[in-house]
Amino acid sequence: MKVAIPGLRGGLVPLVIVVVLVVLPILGVPRAWLLYLFLFFVYLAMANMWNLLAGYSGLISLCQPAFIGLAGYTLVIITWNGLPFYLGIIAGAIIAAAFALLISIPVFRLRGIYFAIGTLVVPEALRIVFFLWRPVGGALHGGGAGYMVKGLAGISMSGFYWMALAIGITSIFLMRVILRSRLGLGLAAIRDNDNTAASSGVDVFRLKLYSFVIGAFVTGIAGAIFYIYQGYIEPVSTFTIRWTMILILSTVIGGIGIEEGPIVGTVIVVILHFLLARYAGLSLLIQGIILVGIMLLAPQGIMGFIRKARASRSPVTVSH
Amino acid sequence: MTALGNLATPLVMGVLLGGLYGLIALGLSLVFGVMRLINVAHGDLVILGTYFAYFAFTILGIDPILSLFIGMPLLFALGFAIQKYLMSRSFGISMEVPLIIAFGISLIIQNVNQIIWTPLSRGLTTSYALESFVVGGVRIPLAYLLDFIAALIVMLLLSQFLRRTYLGKAIVAASQDTRAAQLMGINTARIYALTFGIAMATAAVAGVFLGITFPFTPISGIAFLIIAFGVIIIGGLGSMLGTFIGGIVLGLAQTLGGYFLGAAAQMLIAYIIVLVVLAIRPQGIFGR
Repeated sequence: MKVAIPGLRGGLVPLVIVVVLVVLPILGVPRAWLLYLFLFFVYLAMANMWNLLAGYSGLISLCQPAFIGLAGYTLVIITWNGLPFYLGIIAGAIIAAAFALLISIPVFRLRGIYFAIGTLVVPEALRIVFFLWRPVGGALHGGGAGYMVKGLAGISMSGFYWMALAIGITSIFLMRVILRSRLGLGLAAIRDNDNTAASSGVDVFRLKLYSFVIGAFVTGIAGAIFYIYQGYIEPVSTFTIRWTMILILSTVIGGIGIEEGPIVGTVIVVILHFLLARYAGLSLLIQGIILVGIMLLAPQGIMGFIRKARASRSPVTVSH
Repeated sequence: MTALGNLATPLVMGVLLGGLYGLIALGLSLVFGVMRLINVAHGDLVILGTYFAYFAFTILGIDPILSLFIGMPLLFALGFAIQKYLMSRSFGISMEVPLIIAFGISLIIQNVNQIIWTPLSRGLTTSYALESFVVGGVRIPLAYLLDFIAALIVMLLLSQFLRRTYLGKAIVAASQDTRAAQLMGINTARIYALTFGIAMATAAVAGVFLGITFPFTPISGIAFLIIAFGVIIIGGLGSMLGTFIGGIVLGLAQTLGGYFLGAAAQMLIAYIIVLVVLAIRPQGIFGR
């Protein structure tokens, strides 16, 4: 395996792309474009974290909406108490990470598919909790128990966009760092053979817990940024399996367990949203069909397919 | 005395409701027991059965329970096809692939239901669905009693089928040891497809009685998937009696939760029980 030093390999091209993305709003790009890029970076951050969990840590987590929603509600509580929104983002991420730690007590006793179902229960339970519990008083908004996010006056679309860009780029960088750190190497060992890894001194439980908590933290930040843009939050559309769907689809189309996978997959998911925006129900139906199709025909996704094609063409096979 | 009298109603209703929950969980348990697949589309397949009965009832004018004569073969065929054409190919790839495919199927069914039937809440409001009768001062809705009877019949039939017929014994053999079953000349791929089909036929029955008891929407499937999963977790796998008891525990949790904490919290109690049991005994209270 060739070891690449993070940030150095082909360092100039990504830098140019990032600079162009940063100055995009100043160049007067249409608002709709910024919106799609905003969604791209929010989804990308979440999908990268799902890839870390499902692709690298063997944790098929179906409770990501819980982290997104808890961060969103924390944001609401912070802003309703007159504190600035950026504190809400940080507090939201911390609450999401703390919650991940809390639910790890029951769900980390489960393996594989049991873990998936155990985590599926969590957002469903939280949806009811936030129907019943009104953390701050005030007027109802949306489907029953919704809240406006306060203190957002003066943030423009460019502001939302820059926040999303920051977390999106950070998540890519974070994945590079994690996968090349001791944590990443330990996870790779666990993925290849968890018994061997455990007997070689890798603390399987602790490493999985680290990636679960990191995943919740970053997903929480991205979730809070999403609700800053949306401006309101309510339980039904927050603790929904649709979030999970977006993350799974983005990761799986691009290639699960492949670092570039979520980037490619998220581009396609956002384009799909854009194309199918007018047909809400049909859009999810088509996404479901794509999901089944990809899993059967190319379980390694687009990037996996490209890698395989390259490997078979070049004389020296680069094994991963 | 009146407090006790009041408590009797949720107790009786919880036990009867437990029958329905056991019935819903039966198909999930069967598929898991034989193929080691947690079919996350199970709840949506049950709801699909409910919508078929709704279609037969409102458009064709057929009684929901009688419509099972068409509904059960239809869902059997669907289950057979899902296993044969989708799941069987995925088992060899990795452990996650069948799960993600089931997730995709779940979304497809949800959204097909949503497109055909709109997200409105509906119910199988037959003449008998709304009736109730009084036993010993406790008013019991007839639908709850029907749930319980249907669950008893299906469980009895299924356990006799697994114990006495050749096909049933082959299914049990395949669930115990796939390799050994293959060596004994059992076509396990075919057994898997038949098992999925049978599981879906029980889901059709569950769907009809669910529709008679509760209002439903295209996304109700997830809630019932979690309940069914909870039933398996509490009752353990492979035990018909365990499934039945698991159903009753969750039924009681829901009715007593509703009694003490209000109707909105009743599902929450059931979910919390699932998480607590997972934390204490992931293999289930009656599991080995």
